[in-house]
Amino acid sequence: MNRVRYRLMALAVLPFLLAMAVDLTAFALLRDRLPDRLASHFTASGSSDDTQSHTSYLVLVLVMHIGLAALWAVVARTGDAAVRGLRWMVWVGYAVAGLVGYLMVAVLVANADAADPGRVRMPLWQLVIGAGCGALAAGIGRLLLLTVSMPAPLPSPGPGEPERLDLAEGEVAGWMRRAPSRVLLGTGLAMIATALVLLYAGGTRHALVALGGALICLAFSCPYVTVDRHGLTARPTVLPWPRIRVPLSDVDRAISREIKILAEYGGWGYRMRPGKTGLMLRSGEALVVRRAGGREFAVTVDDSATAAALLNTLADREGAKR
Amino acid sequence: MLFRVDPASPQPLGDQIAASVRRAIAEGKVTPGERLPSARSLADSLGVNLHTVLRGYQRLREEGLIELRRGRGAVVVDDTSARGRASLMLRVRELVDQARELGLTEEEVVGLVREGLA
Repeated sequence: MNRVRYRLMALAVLPFLLAMAVDLTAFALLRDRLPDRLASHFTASGSSDDTQSHTSYLVLVLVMHIGLAALWAVVARTGDAAVRGLRWMVWVGYAVAGLVGYLMVAVLVANADAADPGRVRMPLWQLVIGAGCGALAAGIGRLLLLTVSMPAPLPSPGPGEPERLDLAEGEVAGWMRRAPSRVLLGTGLAMIATALVLLYAGGTRHALVALGGALICLAFSCPYVTVDRHGLTARPTVLPWPRIRVPLSDVDRAISREIKILAEYGGWGYRMRPGKTGLMLRSGEALVVRRAGGREFAVTVDDSATAAALLNTLADREGAKR
Repeated sequence: MLFRVDPASPQPLGDQIAASVRRAIAEGKVTPGERLPSARSLADSLGVNLHTVLRGYQRLREEGLIELRRGRGAVVVDDTSARGRASLMLRVRELVDQARELGLTEEEVVGLVREGLA
């Protein structure tokens, strides 16, 4: 791990530790003026409907802030520093810390000098002020991030030269491969089990929702990826639809590179990100295509180097024809 | 796996498809038990006749490299020797091609192999 990474992690964790310090300080200052039971939960109209003890307030503050800090530390540790989304995630952390930190103080202030916790009010506009604090914190986070020299975002489709395949003139070639995903298969099967349980316990409607989710997971769990005269095609192995196709005329260039799917696409399945879409089955090598319009499509599949070389070659040929 | 066929080559298209599979098995790009693309989708990808693909698959079946099952399609035999057999078949093809270039007759080639076995 390099120094940039440590600084990034420190910056990501910082707002939560600060918010925690502010909340604890506010508690220490207001302690003598607080009732024994704190109004802790509020309805949309602003009236309180639940209380908690001082200890559970402190535990909540500690657990929440440390938990959020740990979560953002993991994001900053594992995220791909060269992807724009990571900066964004760190700002979001500042905004969350600002909002949560403010609300926890606001609860204490609302409780101060209250005789009856049941009559403590916390109007909804407090959320607006909280959001304002969040925005301010995000702005500060943005300034702080300028001190970290992050690597520049990768130009699409990523590092690496587009390779070619030595096809003879008139020679025809096609490449095809299954891209199974254990995660999606497992999720699909688990959802089928859930649907069966719900059929007994919950009712048909819930069972159908779970079954629908299971079908979507299973449909994407083993796509069949083809590169041929039609271009790049990905579809479920057993069904002709839903189908994703990048025609040869739309291929700018294709490469094979490693993708960490959580860092770059945030999860499994068909993912959409600004400027790019992807079929994410597992972390590892992927076929990444830059389209004519600059958009990017990626699918994680083995032997992607061969597929990329063939796709470039066929696209060249298509371009020469026109 | 990569399939290549060259319509300009004197070798029949079906044999070229079989050669692509053989090469893939020999190089370990297709593992035992793996399913080959359906004949229909492969024919569409390469723009060749369905029967051409089936002829290629039939040839691989005769060589004992794949199994053809109704409903399951073409599956690489689940046998650890498949890879070795495939690379042996590649060498046999090389031998035959070289023998043809030299103008040897079928009997002469078989005779040479028999001598090698003795």
